[in-house]
Amino acid sequence: MLDVAKMAVLAARKAGADYADVRAGTDETESLTVRNEEMTGIDRSISTGIGVRVLAGGRWGFASTSRLDEAEITRTAELAVQIARAASRMAGQPVTLSPVEPAEGVWRGQCIEDPFTVPLEEKVALLMEATRRMRNVPGLSYAEGGLDFFRRRTFYASSDGAATEQEVTHSGGGTVATAVGDGDVQRRSYPNSFRGHVRAAGYEHIRALGLIEEAERIGREAVELLRAAECPSEVTTLVLDSGQMELQIHESIGHPVELDRVMGMEEAYAGGSFVTPSDRGSLRYGSPLISITADASLPGGLGTFAWDDEGVPARSTPIIVDGIFQNFLTSRETAPSIGESSNGTSRADGWSHLPLIRMTNISIEPREGTLADIIADTADGIFMTTNTSWSIDDKRINFQFGCEMARRIKNGQLTDLYRNPNYTGITPEFWGSCDAVAGREDWVVWGTPNCGKGQPGQVGRVGHGAAPARFRNVQVGVR
Amino acid sequence: MPGLLGRDGFEAVASAALELSGVDGVEVLLMHEWGGNTRFANSEIHQSTAREDTGLRVRVVSRGRVGVSATNECTPEGARQAAESAREMAEIVAPDPLWPGLTPKTDTAELQRFDEATANASPEARAEAVATLIGQAPSGFSAAGAYETVASEIGVANTEGQVCWGSQTQASMTTVVSGGDAGSGFAEAFAGSTNHVDAEAIGRTAARKASASQNPKALAPGVYPVVLEPAAVATVVGFLAWVGFGGRDYIEDRSCFSGKEGEQVAASQVSITDDPGHPDTLGLAFDFEGEPHRRVDLVKDGVFRSAVYDRRIGKEAGVPSTGHALPSPNPEGPFPLNLFLATGDADVEQMIAATEHGLLVTRFHYSNVVNPVEASITGMTRDGTFLIENGEVTGPVMNFRFTQSILAALSATTMIGSKAELASEFFFSASRVPALKIEEFNFSGRSDH
Repeated sequence: MLDVAKMAVLAARKAGADYADVRAGTDETESLTVRNEEMTGIDRSISTGIGVRVLAGGRWGFASTSRLDEAEITRTAELAVQIARAASRMAGQPVTLSPVEPAEGVWRGQCIEDPFTVPLEEKVALLMEATRRMRNVPGLSYAEGGLDFFRRRTFYASSDGAATEQEVTHSGGGTVATAVGDGDVQRRSYPNSFRGHVRAAGYEHIRALGLIEEAERIGREAVELLRAAECPSEVTTLVLDSGQMELQIHESIGHPVELDRVMGMEEAYAGGSFVTPSDRGSLRYGSPLISITADASLPGGLGTFAWDDEGVPARSTPIIVDGIFQNFLTSRETAPSIGESSNGTSRADGWSHLPLIRMTNISIEPREGTLADIIADTADGIFMTTNTSWSIDDKRINFQFGCEMARRIKNGQLTDLYRNPNYTGITPEFWGSCDAVAGREDWVVWGTPNCGKGQPGQVGRVGHGAAPARFRNVQVGVR
Repeated sequence: MPGLLGRDGFEAVASAALELSGVDGVEVLLMHEWGGNTRFANSEIHQSTAREDTGLRVRVVSRGRVGVSATNECTPEGARQAAESAREMAEIVAPDPLWPGLTPKTDTAELQRFDEATANASPEARAEAVATLIGQAPSGFSAAGAYETVASEIGVANTEGQVCWGSQTQASMTTVVSGGDAGSGFAEAFAGSTNHVDAEAIGRTAARKASASQNPKALAPGVYPVVLEPAAVATVVGFLAWVGFGGRDYIEDRSCFSGKEGEQVAASQVSITDDPGHPDTLGLAFDFEGEPHRRVDLVKDGVFRSAVYDRRIGKEAGVPSTGHALPSPNPEGPFPLNLFLATGDADVEQMIAATEHGLLVTRFHYSNVVNPVEASITGMTRDGTFLIENGEVTGPVMNFRFTQSILAALSATTMIGSKAELASEFFFSASRVPALKIEEFNFSGRSDH
């Protein structure tokens, strides 16, 4: 496939491209879903193709195709050049790329036990047993479990001479217990909602999840939630578990620091950002406990790779240090606008899409103690766990999140159970109110395999190291 | 050059999978799509793309056991390999006690949804239209957005003898014009043909809203009467489909309509149908398992009538499929993709004139479900939110967060627009909806712009 990519680079240059880079590749998936001990979904997919990106007349053009014969590759390369030239007829600044040494090499992400060769029977048996255990709980209506496996092979070549091969493997699994009654529906998920816990790993990750061992607990919690009181509406101290912190970081830190968003390139879709280029080194984004790092080499992270989709090597970049904003996520196109070189975050949703700035692994640096320590140290407040919904405005300022379950914290103890909890806030105020972040013991590398961005819409696979944390004066129970 | 495979071409590829031996049934779903997208920001084209991809999804049934495999190798060999892979999966799972069988041979209508010019729209033509749109932005303002043209063909064939095939085109243009001291405006068009996309009008509308949105004032959150323009109504109706109209959620008491068949759930002038065959939408004549689409009255005169069904959920519910299957395997069940909210007799100006103290909302942003059984959702206003005082729009206001039950909103609806517009809230869906005047709408928070 690397030869195919190189052939496309030559075809693009021959068609008049000033610069070209090409990704040829294959995405492979396998997905299993069991519900009440019945298979409701079992499928595999494979998708192969090539995407050609060119600069011509100072503008980008991109074309992709799933047909890999020489004539089609030539047509696709020529189309990419035609598209760039059509764009260059309009006034505008020509694209300037920050320099990068042409990358060469082969890299494979961590995968001890190939999930695609583990027998289907074994995977089915795991989900059957997990749902059977959940159904032991009286009053539970639905017990579901799912496994998802993903492998991407990318062959990259550029007219600068880059030539790389990469392979990543992602494995995920989770269970959901749903209780229905009295006109209400309550659910509990394990280890996280929306298909569970996905990591850059092989089947060894699934074996370590404990889906069977935790099944009855989440079944009981779902049934208990049906009888629980509605989360009260009040301004209080809020403690979040690491799973909810994952999405809080994703939406209110990860997206706002994407430099293409800051520059208005996403304005018409999910919007811009409240962060500006002049904020580097001065914006107080959060309390001194908040340090955020973008690290594309984090073990287990869905945003882990050797080179991004522009051939820029993986690296670790401080985003927020002790509460002060420091750096954006950048690409070769956007970094020069702030006098920088790309910090390697440009990635595409497979061969058929143009690379965009995407989060790599955006993680909060752990501090000290555990979730239990934070709760023990809290006189009065609300603890929330496991995301159900998210919403944030077009500048990433006003957000609202829902969770599956909450409990009152009273004098350092978890007490009353609440259903339908949610909370809302203003991004810098919220992060500024953080006065506790747990340490390494409760810090988890979560995966977000469904991050939407761009037009046409792309789905990004990103990672977040997250620890439980405490926030003061938060509005909960929004009605 | 991309082009239609066509019914015959599809059947030729599908037959390699349908010939799989030793199984009870095989179904092949073809999804072939190509198109281009010219994306712009800061009044420049910054991302311009073209793509073509073909998906073959093969479902194999063996003694009531079902497996599915997909490939984008659209050849007889690709189809055969996918069928073999699906059989391997089918053979290791337990039988599905509710397996309804594949769709029997049934006639499906031929719909004319394909526009050759749209399918072949060139990057130059898209760039020219984008330049026209950008040209409407006043000095000190810039435009961002996208102009996409897409052609697709869908085919379903199975070993029961069912074969259906259809093609369609779509053209969508969306823009946000922003600038000045502070303020932005939005406009869009979504149609089956580039002929129905007026770049100048879209740019002009967004520019007018952006100019009118300058220096918004902060208004306290609370319950207000609202006039929702069609783009905002599309969010309301789209989310109602998500939390309410799917047959699986309905029969499992997880829908906001569960147990409410025949009950008043909205104001009496509110009627919602799903009608993929209607000439004013972009639906196909059949669903993703080859069942003919049927028009379904979901809410009639404010009364909930029916959910939508596919073959499996229909069997579980004891009703026939309404032709609303999504691609298999689909654990989430059936879904309506072509909603219509019936028009009324008012226009937006009349709704404004009938409002003493309320808000005019252009569109909602980043909405999500808060409580599905209450049909409550949250989201933000965006790109044109205005205060109405004594029957007139008096100025822009900062964006609000809403947290609101859709059914409560539809129950408080007093005026419905006479003109409907097509909008797409979710992938593959198209809702045709008018503006609404709603007497009580809950804004639970506010942003700073």
